[in-house]
Formats: sequence, structure tokens, C-alpha cells
Amino acid sequence: MVEQAAHVLSWHARSYRKSWRATITVAFLNPLFFLFSIGVLLGGIVDEGRADLGGLTYLEFVAPGLLAATAMQIGTNEGSFPVMAGLKWTRTYHAVVATPVRVLELFLGFFGWVALRIVVAAAIFTAVAAAVGAFRSPWAALAPLAALGCGLAFAAPIAATAGAVENSSVLTAIFRFGILPLFLFSGTFFPVSQLPAALEWAARVTPLWHGVTLCRELAGGTAELWPSLGHAGYLAAFTLAGGALAIRILQRKLLK
Amino acid sequence: MSSGHEGEPRIQAAGLTKRFGDFTAVDGVDFAVVAGETFGFLGPNGAGKSSTMRMIGAVSPRSGGALRVFELDPAEAGPEIRARLGVVPQEDNLDLELTVFENLLVYGRYFGLPSSLIRERADELLAFMQLADRRQHRVEPLSGGMKRRLTIARALVNEPDLMLLDEPTTGLDPQARHAVWDRLYRLKQRGVTLVLTTHYMDEAEQLCDRLVVMDRGRIVAEGSPRDLIARHVEREVVELRFAAGTQDGAVARLAGVGDRIEELADRILIGTADGDATLAAAQDRGVEPESVLIRRSTLEDVFLSITGRTLID
Ligand SMILES: Nc1ncnc2c1ncn2[C@@H]1O[C@H](COP(=O)(O)OP(=O)(O)O)[C@@H](O)[C@H]1O
Ligand SMILES: [Mg+2]
Repeated sequence: MVEQAAHVLSWHARSYRKSWRATITVAFLNPLFFLFSIGVLLGGIVDEGRADLGGLTYLEFVAPGLLAATAMQIGTNEGSFPVMAGLKWTRTYHAVVATPVRVLELFLGFFGWVALRIVVAAAIFTAVAAAVGAFRSPWAALAPLAALGCGLAFAAPIAATAGAVENSSVLTAIFRFGILPLFLFSGTFFPVSQLPAALEWAARVTPLWHGVTLCRELAGGTAELWPSLGHAGYLAAFTLAGGALAIRILQRKLLK
Repeated sequence: MSSGHEGEPRIQAAGLTKRFGDFTAVDGVDFAVVAGETFGFLGPNGAGKSSTMRMIGAVSPRSGGALRVFELDPAEAGPEIRARLGVVPQEDNLDLELTVFENLLVYGRYFGLPSSLIRERADELLAFMQLADRRQHRVEPLSGGMKRRLTIARALVNEPDLMLLDEPTTGLDPQARHAVWDRLYRLKQRGVTLVLTTHYMDEAEQLCDRLVVMDRGRIVAEGSPRDLIARHVEREVVELRFAAGTQDGAVARLAGVGDRIEELADRILIGTADGDATLAAAQDRGVEPESVLIRRSTLEDVFLSITGRTLID
């Protein structure tokens, strides 16, 4: 099973060699632009070590948020259109399951590839953020893993959705009306306590908020064991439930 | 390629059924394919050919009946069966971003073949499928015929014991189609077991040792192309082609001429043992076709005589 999934993963890696240029803006450049423009430059203006930020500088506050949000974006991008393409556009998933590879193995290979994409981007971002002094604690070294959890918590349910829906406009709508507002309002750029109570509550149930908070507490050195496990468990629950659903949907679509 | 094992069972189907919701796409078909033969499913769009092929390919669970492929049950031994199949699906599903060679490499890995072996086989297969000069080309800009040949090459990478070809030449221009036929004919000569579907009677006639005629989910006739023609239709056909609007009443006037009369939108077909005599008799009845043609009966005529409809609408 692992071996077959690895073959599927290496197929994705091979395809990526042809198309990596198209992904570097979302995965690498945009997050770094945000880090410098908002974290370093804007942060330099607004910083007075405000209590609202839990004693962090704005750079220290926003960098882990950007890390989690970047993971979310890679997870949604890689989990959405590529799945629809494999099922409906280029139909390459149908080619895979005509071989001894099973749908479960196809999914695991795909998902492993998405995980790799997220973790590499997160590691690079973390290294750059550390270099500009955005982290207080050595626990920041675990932040890429927290970001991975955040990215997969999006990738899995999005993959299930991309498998289930007939029309790519649904995915476009999710990006516009789901992911973008999450990016802006789920604690990446400001504490959710700034939001009206109802919206604050809504922000706290999103996986992004848990990912952001976990990354931020690790990087800021304020992480405590049980709350951190709580965040990680929340992200894992989204990943597992979304993944199980995605596998069932792919089975239904590929083996009908 | 797999020669030998001549006559060993490859596929056995009894009462094989596929339902989608309450629609029955394949309605209790019986057939068997043995090693070394080329077996065809001939039928119009919607007959249930692809649904049958997908059940054989262990990518579609059957709704009823019995099915054994390599004497294994696809419901239980999907990966084992698929490991020995070469599948050319109705719609190409190559990775368009990768090169011709990479498509073979990636696919071969799914069969657990080492890269070095795939490399060797890829060179042979690309030469055989006349794609050697495209080895390093991206797939996307290739012509439809080349993509089809690559799909066939890809299906051969695991040296399958059985090839499933779903409409191998549909959508190709005549030249590309002949190139594919030529390659399939060579595979057949090497002893590869081929199962193909088609709605082209000439394809079925040229390639198949034995075929079943499918219509609306059922098998309506079975035999070699020659048998089917001998059993179901007369030796020759007189085709009377009419200009628009001039065909009305002609069938009535032709009553009793030849052995069997079929009327289509723009022509009347008369089945007969003696085309010349029948044409003369028809002309005596005073019908005025725009043109006439005497030809040998084909599988198209078999289908028409059984179902009253043409293969290609
Ligand atoms: N996944 C599906 N869901 C519902 N109906 C289907 C599905 N696949 C095929 N059909 C229907 O089953 C019938 C047979 O289809 P198919 O096996 O593709 O025929 P053929 O290959 O002979 O053209 C058609 O009427 C088709 O619309
Ligand atoms: Mg079909």
C-alpha cells in the first residue's frame, strides 16, 4: 500500500517539475511579500508592544499567522482543481485506478504530495521569518508541522468537495467567499477578540484560527501542552473526517 | 508479448448485469473469451459496451450475474486482475503535461516494474507504435492518432495477458485509424488476446475472430463476422439512394423484389442472393433512385436486419 502510494506521489512530483513556476507566487513569494510589507514595515509603524497582541511585536504576531494562512492556501489550491482535473478534465485518476493501484492508494499518494508541498513551503517561510527575528521561542521549529496540520485540515475537505461537485464554479466560490475572508478575519492579521462577539465565535471554530493560534503560541513561546494538543486534535479531526469522505467520494466516482 | 496458453479461459460472463439506479445498461449478457482470440462487442452508442468493458476491467462493480477474468472474481481480486490487463479506455486519459516516455514510465511503476525494465520496454513499444521520434515530446500537442497509439503503448507496458480496447479508433481520421488497425493486427498476430468494442462494422470485420452484436444492453447475435453475415442476411445488397423527397412510395412498389427490404432516411436496401437480377427487377417496378450500388452484405446489414436500426445514427 505504501509503495503504491509512493508511486502516485512520485507521479505528482514529476508533474510538478513541469508546473512549479505557476505555484511559486502563492507558495513562496506572496507570503514573503506579506511578511515584509505587513510584518516588518507596517509593523514598524504600529508597534508599541500593545497588550492586545499579548506582548508580541506586530511582526512576531503576524508571522506565525501568515505561516498558517499560507499552509491553508496551498492546501486548498492543491486539494481542489487538481482533484477535479484528475476526475473530470484530464481523467488521469481513471488511468491510475485501471492499474493495480487502489483508490485508497491513489488518495494517499495525492495527499502525501500535498503534505510535502505544504511542509516545504512552511519550512522555507519559517526559516526566513526566523532570520528577520519574528520568533521568540525555539519551539518555532515545530511551527511548520502545525502549519502542515492547518493546511491538511483544509486540503482534505476541499478534496472531498472537488470530488463531489460537478462544476468548478463551486470551487471558485469557496475561494472567494470562504478562503479569502478566513485569510483576512481568522486571526492572521489581528486578534479575533477585535471582532464582534458573534463573529469572534465563528472565527474560533475555523481550522485556520486553530492553526494560527497554535503556530503563534509555539513561535511566541507561550504554548502549553493541553491547549496545543487541543488545536492539533481539532486540525487532525478535520483532516481525518475530510480524508475519509474524500476517499469514499473518489471510490464512488472512479468505480461506478 | 503473451503467446501460448492458447484456448485458456480469459473471461467468462453469465447473466452479467449493470444497473445505474433503475436504468439497466447491461442486461444479463453471456459470453466467453479464450486466450489468443480477438473478440469484439459491436453495437451503437448506448448499447452497454463500455459498461461491460469496465466491469471486465475491475473498475466497475457488477450489479448481477457472474463474471470471471483470468478465472478470478473482479469483486474480490481487482488489483490481481488489473495487474494482468492492458486497458485502452474510450476516452484517452494520458498525462498531457508529461512527455510520451514519462507517461509510460509513470504508468509502468504502478505495475511494480523497475524503471530500468520500463525504459527497455518503452523503447520497444514506442518503436512498435511508431512514436519513437516523439519520445521526449510533451503529450498535449500530439495528434489524436498519436495519443491513441500512446495509450495503446501504455497499455502494453505490463505485457498484459488480455487487452481491453474500448472504441480504439473512434474520432480518428481514416489514415490514423488504419495506422491503429495495422498495429492491432500485429498484436493479434503475436498472439495477444484482444477484446475490443466498436460501432464500426469494418473495424469488427477486419479485426475480430468472433464478436457479439450488442443493442440496448443485450447480446442479439454472436459468431464470426462471416457466420453472422451468412446466418442473418443475404449475400448481397442492392442500395437504392434517393434524392430528398423522391423516396415516398418506393418501398410499396418494390414489394416482393429481393429477399428483404430495409428503408432508411435516404435509401432503400434490398438484401438478395443475386444483386444484378434484383436491381433489374427493381428498375422494372419504375422506382427512380438517384444512384444505385450493388455490394456484399456487411455486419452493418446484420445489425439492421436484427434491430431495424443502423449502427451509426
Ligand atoms: N455512470 C453512469 N450513470 C448512469 N448511466 C450511465 C452511466 N454510464 C453509462 N450509462 C448509461 O448506460 C448506457 C450504456 O452506456 P455505455 O456502456 O457507455 O454504452 P456504449 O459504450 O455502448 O456506448 C447508456 O444509456 C448510458 O447513458
Ligand atoms: Mg462506450
